[in-house]
Amino acid sequence: MSPVKRTVAVLFGGRSLEHDVSVVSGLQILHAIDPGAYSPMPVYIDHDGRWWIGDELWHEACFKGGGPDRSGLTEVNLSTGFGRSDLMSVDERPRLVAHRRHVDVFVPVLHGTFGEDGCIQGLLELSGCAYVGCGVTASALGMNKRLTKVLAAQAGVPVLPGVSCARSVLDRDRGWLERLSQEVDDAFGWPVIVKPCNLGSSAGVSVATSSEELASGVMKVFEYDLEALIEPFIRHRVEVNVAVAGLEDPVASVTEMPVTLQESPLTFGEKYKRQGRKSVGSTAGMAGALRVLDPQDLPADMRADAQRYAISVFSTLGCEGISRIDFLIDADKNDLYFNEINTLPGSMAFYLWSAAPHYWTITELLSRLILRAERMQAIRHGLRRRPTADLSLLG
Amino acid sequence: MPTFSSWLLIAAAAAAHGYLVWHRLLAYLRYLQQEGYEHIRFLRWTHARSLSDPAFWLSITGAWLYPRWPTAVTMGVVVAMVLLARAQPDPRRSGKITLKMTWRARRVQAIAFLIATAIWVGLATVLVGVAAGPMLLASVIVYAVIPFVLVAANTCLRPYERHIQRQYEAEAVRRVADLQPFVIGITGSYGKSSSKAILAHILQFHGPTLAAAGSINTLMGVTRHIREALVPGHVFMVVEMGAFQTGSIARLCQLTPPSAALITAVGDMHLERFGSLDAIVRAKGELAAALPPDGLLVVNADSPGALRIAQNTRGRRILLYGETSTEDLDTRLEQVEFSTTGTAFVLRTRNDVYRCTTPLLGRPIVLNLAGAFTLACAVGVDPAVAVAAITTLRPVSNRLEVVKESGVTWIRDAYNSNQAGFRAALEVVAALPVARRFIATPGVIELGAEQFAVNRTLAREAAAVCDTALVVADTNREAFLTGYRDAGCEDRLVSVPSRAAAFRWLRETVREGDAVILENDLPDLYEPAGVFWKTVSRG
Repeated sequence: MSPVKRTVAVLFGGRSLEHDVSVVSGLQILHAIDPGAYSPMPVYIDHDGRWWIGDELWHEACFKGGGPDRSGLTEVNLSTGFGRSDLMSVDERPRLVAHRRHVDVFVPVLHGTFGEDGCIQGLLELSGCAYVGCGVTASALGMNKRLTKVLAAQAGVPVLPGVSCARSVLDRDRGWLERLSQEVDDAFGWPVIVKPCNLGSSAGVSVATSSEELASGVMKVFEYDLEALIEPFIRHRVEVNVAVAGLEDPVASVTEMPVTLQESPLTFGEKYKRQGRKSVGSTAGMAGALRVLDPQDLPADMRADAQRYAISVFSTLGCEGISRIDFLIDADKNDLYFNEINTLPGSMAFYLWSAAPHYWTITELLSRLILRAERMQAIRHGLRRRPTADLSLLG
Repeated sequence: MPTFSSWLLIAAAAAAHGYLVWHRLLAYLRYLQQEGYEHIRFLRWTHARSLSDPAFWLSITGAWLYPRWPTAVTMGVVVAMVLLARAQPDPRRSGKITLKMTWRARRVQAIAFLIATAIWVGLATVLVGVAAGPMLLASVIVYAVIPFVLVAANTCLRPYERHIQRQYEAEAVRRVADLQPFVIGITGSYGKSSSKAILAHILQFHGPTLAAAGSINTLMGVTRHIREALVPGHVFMVVEMGAFQTGSIARLCQLTPPSAALITAVGDMHLERFGSLDAIVRAKGELAAALPPDGLLVVNADSPGALRIAQNTRGRRILLYGETSTEDLDTRLEQVEFSTTGTAFVLRTRNDVYRCTTPLLGRPIVLNLAGAFTLACAVGVDPAVAVAAITTLRPVSNRLEVVKESGVTWIRDAYNSNQAGFRAALEVVAALPVARRFIATPGVIELGAEQFAVNRTLAREAAAVCDTALVVADTNREAFLTGYRDAGCEDRLVSVPSRAAAFRWLRETVREGDAVILENDLPDLYEPAGVFWKTVSRG
């Protein structure tokens, strides 16, 4: 008799700017899970944060227009009982038997706010579920660009200088704009790149060449985030990304160079639309023409540095699952800088594992990550959480 | 004497009919709710839709065939009705704007169901012995009048709803009194919504600001918004106040007593409703009169009517803004320049000069911006923050919104419906460095006797700016033709029957470097989602 297949729920959508990207990524992951070993299941989180299950969610077509037709779906909640890991129907219509689906492992494929920042991880943690990827701390740290830079620098990874500006300056005295401009002047000068400190996507990012543009850029950030991060803008820059997989030991992938416009920063639309619409489940579409894998024109030592630094950042933050660590190269100086970490990269950056030394298919990689998630969960379950006799005050 | 089995059949028919009516009521209720339970607008939408309801035709067919095979037909109709009910999409879950099952919606549906049942039972009873298939004939009538049944139910509930509304109002008044937000009232014949959006955008960088999206400006709308959205953290609350009759702003001011007011313009729009310009000035002046003794009044001095309100007001702090006014202004708008990326302009205050840029377009909008800037700075916003904030404004969809598509500049101004807006759009496109200029418009409407003359003048002005104009539909075609004849360039006017035809023509004609204005064309409010049938999965 064949064993009962374990249910793997892929969480996608979510209350974030990157909802649509998450749907595309989520469906790719969903279709890539080994159906021979697991029983994959889509769980869609809509813009209001409500969770839905149903067979219709397997098809990308149903997300076009106003989102999937809810009438064919069942709304569910994660049960709050620790270790239950059940999705319970919250249908308003009375039912004789409550609709309940047990989930063995969750795969969050949620980008940005509430999905990549530790929030959903916190929920899964509270419910005692096994889940793929970073835990609460690593997710939250990885989302905060200022804190990641501090930690990366501490670990000996080169980072660009930065000036941060919290939204609370608006509540304080006047003249902060001039002071901020002065601070930038003193620290590194112009042009600068202004970005939200806690956003995964490129929304709210702008380049400023003057104090007026800086003011405008900071305001734009404050519509999205409570903190703006200002860094020198590197005119001739090359981006290099490395993925790291947290298996028994963290393993770095090959480097990739996404092809972007050199003069302007990657905007949100550019980042996701230029890649073109990918066909669901195809692994070929992702490694499209807009990136170069393992770029040979990049000096070997720089590639090796990027991989070494990537593992270093991954370990320092205590990441799990797959993270993509992005670097910048100042082409004029030939300097490599850590830029940011994506603890839940688009499509889980699986295309980076299609070149030596790791020829892992996405399916293979997911199976490993699921096993790892189950193991981590078993370890967490084993930790002592109940008060011992000496800590028990209530008898 | 009917037998047991015929009673059973009658019961089945009644149950199936009731089941389907219940579903249909829900389907229509969605649109009644979307229209704010307003009968006229709802009935304008439903129009003759109930006559295309398959249930209506099913009943007619059934009634026609009934004399031949009464039992078989009744059974067939029962099954078909159940199937039709199952085939109807659930408006509570499907579509972009779902039906929210509020208590009011439940009440309306329940009462409507009772009325529909009464009609059906009554008709069927009367028709027994008079015609064959009385139940099916009764069904025919019921399906045809379902929208009216909902309207009747809504009317029955009016007194009760009014009672509840008063309770809600009292609750909202208490909430505002408890939380004490700094209320800023905005009124004017036009420019209210845009001024509100701009002011709220600037103020949010100074303190948490509540402002309703869109143009909520009635007592009911504002009440609801307060109950749903006003929270203890809010520092500012910007309220748009519509004057529908004398006294309506005064009532709104009781709900949200303003500490500051902005009057964007007082013109002769809605003249027929008020009778005279004096009456309009009085109605809008209620906002200024509601201000406390130290209250702040900001007025557009370019508008003579608005200026009169300022002149009639005593004992308040009054600030004037404008562009062309000869008054001694507190903020003067100068050096307005349009480009495809937005507008550059200068705001000259009593002490300073601010160079500003904004992605928004159009002279009226920039003037609204000057008003919002004046008010924001007067309530304590750092002018440097305000100047920075207006660089990040986003155009409201279809209000002089620029969209670039493969080298063609599309200026979407579909939500504009007055002649000032029409002229503003022409002014913008005239200033853009583009190869050729096009405009597609059905003209402006609801101007009564002046409609022809106004459209004729607008057509002449369009001819001076645009290379080609497309006049859509018949309404103002003659006026445009005359206007173009006046300008001596009839050959540059293209007449198209519909919006779709206009787009086809434009897609074939425009090239890289051209600009197109899409002026005053209300897109369909409603999605093409099925009312009676589930639509097949899109994609």
